[in-house]
Amino acid sequence: MSTARGTDKTEARSQRENELAGLYEEYYDRIARYAFVHIGDRADSQDLAGEVFLKALKSLDSYQERGVPMQAWLFKIAHNLVVDYLRRKAKLRAEATDMELLQVGDEDPIEEAETKIRMEKVTEAMKKLTADQRQVISLRFMAGLASKEVAQAMKKTDGAVREMQRAAIEKLRTLLASEA
Amino acid sequence: MDNGFDRILDACLDRIQTGEDIESVLASYPADSARLRPLLQAALQTNRSFDFTPSPDAKRASRQRFDSALAELRESRRQKQPWFSRVALRPATWAAAATVVVALIVVYLGVRPALSPSAPVVLPFTPVASPNGNFSFLISDDVNAIAEFKEVTVNIDKIGLQQTESDKWIEITPEVSSVDLTTVPGALTQQIWRGDVLSGNYQQVFVYVANVTGTLESTGERIEIKLPSQRLHLAVPFSVSDNTVTNFTYDMTVIRTGNGRNAKYILKPQISESGASQVSNGSGDTGNQQKPTVPDQRPTSLPTPTKKTPKK
Repeated sequence: MSTARGTDKTEARSQRENELAGLYEEYYDRIARYAFVHIGDRADSQDLAGEVFLKALKSLDSYQERGVPMQAWLFKIAHNLVVDYLRRKAKLRAEATDMELLQVGDEDPIEEAETKIRMEKVTEAMKKLTADQRQVISLRFMAGLASKEVAQAMKKTDGAVREMQRAAIEKLRTLLASEA
Repeated sequence: MDNGFDRILDACLDRIQTGEDIESVLASYPADSARLRPLLQAALQTNRSFDFTPSPDAKRASRQRFDSALAELRESRRQKQPWFSRVALRPATWAAAATVVVALIVVYLGVRPALSPSAPVVLPFTPVASPNGNFSFLISDDVNAIAEFKEVTVNIDKIGLQQTESDKWIEITPEVSSVDLTTVPGALTQQIWRGDVLSGNYQQVFVYVANVTGTLESTGERIEIKLPSQRLHLAVPFSVSDNTVTNFTYDMTVIRTGNGRNAKYILKPQISESGASQVSNGSGDTGNQQKPTVPDQRPTSLPTPTKKTPKK
């Protein structure tokens, strides 16, 4: 009897592992973009996206009790890792601002400069949003989740997310317009 | 709150996310387009500011780390399982086990006839009864508890003779299948079959007994006499040749266990009194010249109880 239960548990765990592996190709990019919005470092964002999947793999037993789609659960993990990342960075470089963490890649210098300016403007505007609004915008626009998935990841109602989304965009519009 | 507008904005953002341009999206909502337009432009601007695609190399390396971690995790879990669970979960192990079981069954079925006396290999040879045959099978009774019976009837189905060289058996259906042991006590015998069997050496004799019943002298009660086995076994070597008559006497005895009401009677072969003797098979004789006869109280068609010949 106990052996049968153990086998069932093992099979269930194996199924979840397969589900997680199946999400990798699509959601690695989304999570990396989500992380990039918050930490501004391409390489670290990529590493963090990989770390999300490894952490999810180790924590799969706790996932089944959360009652949310695995995709949403991955962004919860990503959010926690982003927070940890920013704390570590803040500790190491207390004087550094978030924007100083933005790095320049190997692209065309002019294009990179333009990209950096756009990012600086948006980043500054996003800093003025509430934490929940920032979370909604990054999950909705950068990670590409539907508002319902964002609601599941944030444990909010769909209506609350849509409301935060509208409020965040209105604020961004005002801030970006004033800077322009 | 403006719940209806929030839903429209959300639907517009979904379409923008799929790559649709702002104008075509706004065309679907002319009444709200003035309010929607600046919001969608701000959303698009925000989105494009962080337009970042991870490098394929980084993604590939990360995927490899994930796959390795998954493989390690599964191996670790497999090692922690009880050995029988690990075995049970492997289809290849099941296949191997099934193959071994089938092989064992095939081998067992193949060798069982040779190993087990319960299924003797019988020669495709049917001995023919003949008054001048080279083999005579006789039944006798050694004196033990037979005096306690008025009669003891042994019903015999068949007789088996095992050849020494081939280990195969010759089976004989007795001409006389019922023998009253009280009529053949001590040196007396009763022939139950005579005929021709294959010449050669034999090592064992089976007598397949259907049942044994007896009538007690003291009470007249008819009782069943127990058998140690339906097949009484004697390992007594003897020979049969074409020019002689082999008289094989199979001596049975009834023994009692217990006393009074607890008394039980068992029929057993008596190896010390059993065995074969050979006499010359002269023309026209019966092949039993040395057998002293006892008074014949039976129909002429039945064999006559005779005295035992000396064992060979």
